[in-house]
Amino acid sequence: MSRRPASRLVLLFTPILAAALATSGCGGSSSASTDGAKPKITIAYQKFPSGDLVVKHDKLLETALPGYTIEWKVFDSGASINTAFVADAVDIAAIGSSPVARGLSDPLNIPYKVAFVLDVAGANEALVARNGSGVSTIAGLKGHRIATPFASTSHYSLLAALTAAGLTDKDVTLVDLQPQDIVAAWKRGDIDAAYVWLPTLEELKQTGTVLVDSAAVAKDGKPTLDLGVVSDDLISKHPEVVDAWRKAETTALAQVREQPDTAAKAVAAELSITEADAKSQLSQGIFLSPAEITSSTWLGSGGKPGDIVTNLLDAAQFLADQKKIPSAPSRDAIAAAIYTKGLPDVLTK
Amino acid sequence: MTRVLDRDDRHDGVEVAATPAAGSGETARAPRHRWRPSRTVTLNLAAVTTLLLLWQLVATVGGEDPTLRPSPVLVAKTLFELSGTDNGGYEGLPWWQHLLISARRIGIGAGIGVVLGLLLGVLMGVIAWLRTVLTPLLSLLRALPPLAYFSLVIIWFGIDETPKLVLLGLAALPPVAAVTAEAVTQAPQSLIEAARSLGGSRAQVIRDVLVPSALPQVITGIRLALAIAISSLVAAETVNGLPGIGGMIRDAQAYNNTAVVVVGLFAIGIGALGLDALIAALGRRLTPWTGRA
Repeated sequence: MSRRPASRLVLLFTPILAAALATSGCGGSSSASTDGAKPKITIAYQKFPSGDLVVKHDKLLETALPGYTIEWKVFDSGASINTAFVADAVDIAAIGSSPVARGLSDPLNIPYKVAFVLDVAGANEALVARNGSGVSTIAGLKGHRIATPFASTSHYSLLAALTAAGLTDKDVTLVDLQPQDIVAAWKRGDIDAAYVWLPTLEELKQTGTVLVDSAAVAKDGKPTLDLGVVSDDLISKHPEVVDAWRKAETTALAQVREQPDTAAKAVAAELSITEADAKSQLSQGIFLSPAEITSSTWLGSGGKPGDIVTNLLDAAQFLADQKKIPSAPSRDAIAAAIYTKGLPDVLTK
Repeated sequence: MTRVLDRDDRHDGVEVAATPAAGSGETARAPRHRWRPSRTVTLNLAAVTTLLLLWQLVATVGGEDPTLRPSPVLVAKTLFELSGTDNGGYEGLPWWQHLLISARRIGIGAGIGVVLGLLLGVLMGVIAWLRTVLTPLLSLLRALPPLAYFSLVIIWFGIDETPKLVLLGLAALPPVAAVTAEAVTQAPQSLIEAARSLGGSRAQVIRDVLVPSALPQVITGIRLALAIAISSLVAAETVNGLPGIGGMIRDAQAYNNTAVVVVGLFAIGIGALGLDALIAALGRRLTPWTGRA
């Protein structure tokens, strides 16, 4: 009975404090941090079919960089990857062009650079109208309800497709839904169309008609891409890691293009889908050759950034129009965030 | 005018010692009642000010970072910008309209949940076997995180208003039902017997004895239920939540607009405090016999 209440409080809070201290000690795993003797590289990846998954599954980077600890962390959106970069918790990431445009703009101004084009959205992202909605053209969507995950590359492509068909976002009802919710709303007939990516897209196609896909939107000058970005910190401290990573991604891309069956095996294992599905999904993306990536159409080479600057600028302007950022960055600012040092030789040497 | 203000300033606060020097030679003024802040108010103000200063300090030390640590100044600026539609508000609406839309969802969804919870609670309090059957079910429902079952609600009820109302209702019902059932069973047996012996029917006993005696606890249950419903708001608005304050928070998150997220959190928090104070005041009105009037 003589026990003071304070001691109970101490008893209560000690484990909580200990846990808090233990977890805070683990935070902030930037490129400078070392795990034992080896420097640690943290890579953010997303679960969309890409060469990046081949790199991860086949441990291409671990093999190329035995002196480093490679840690792969899965993310479910570009926004969360941006947050991770701001928190200095990742070094390299696979991320869509829309979130990259967001990250390079005010007020984020994330110190990272675009160092690779993982893939270009093709038939793997598309606008589908539901059978029974009576819609057969993009212009026919006027007054209808369209779902897409906001802030994604699909959102950007949808608005580009609507604009090209003479519609604005005021002519339709846009609904922000994640892919799994799109399927539910679609089956219930709550939405008439959706712009979304694989594998959800495949499911919608069975009861819908494709109105336009991202390959066609790209031809109209509004391509969306999955990019590899690298923190400025890593570029200055471990440029050899960036080179090894670009080379590993190039190897994986070659496998996707030339040995689709082998690549499908890795992707299927990473996504927990069948190899046939993985192969079909991979076949719908556009995977560039090293020559294409380093051409002026895409990333560019040797300090001369390619058209990707325009693509990112368009994506940033879109965000500014949507009032999600104060203003788009300057062309120079974006050009400065394209890392082409050593290209194209470093990809193949 | 300014001199008078100056002088008043010196009279306020704790520096009364400075008064004679400052007031010397001036014409005598009529004595006035000065506002003396109570200890609680002073303490609260001091706590809030300290917190704001600490926040500003954390936000500014090591350079401003609007994404990781938006400063109170930036949040206030964002709040101001989102208050009107001059800048388009957020998705075309000022923040308070988003809040009102969410408040309406809480009002209808949680309102239905509270009413059903009350009915169920009274029934459970009166009918013993119903209490035995439903208590574990309600405890189970209470323990489930709303986000976990929301995908089911979406499949069943679509993406419009219904699923949001259902979720808020499901969040609000169990605590009200549980507390009401508990309160009804605890009604003084002597009162019930007295009412019965006076010829009261079962319905009359419920209406005139059980409900009033349970009321103070029920009010607490309703406050608890609304707090739970409000904390489920962002979950309810994860799918097609715009317009709505939870939808605004989620959308801002998707674009890394942390300042807007903080504005939304404040809006929900202050709205919740206001609603709770309202229900508490209503409770004091309805049950004047409890505590101090």
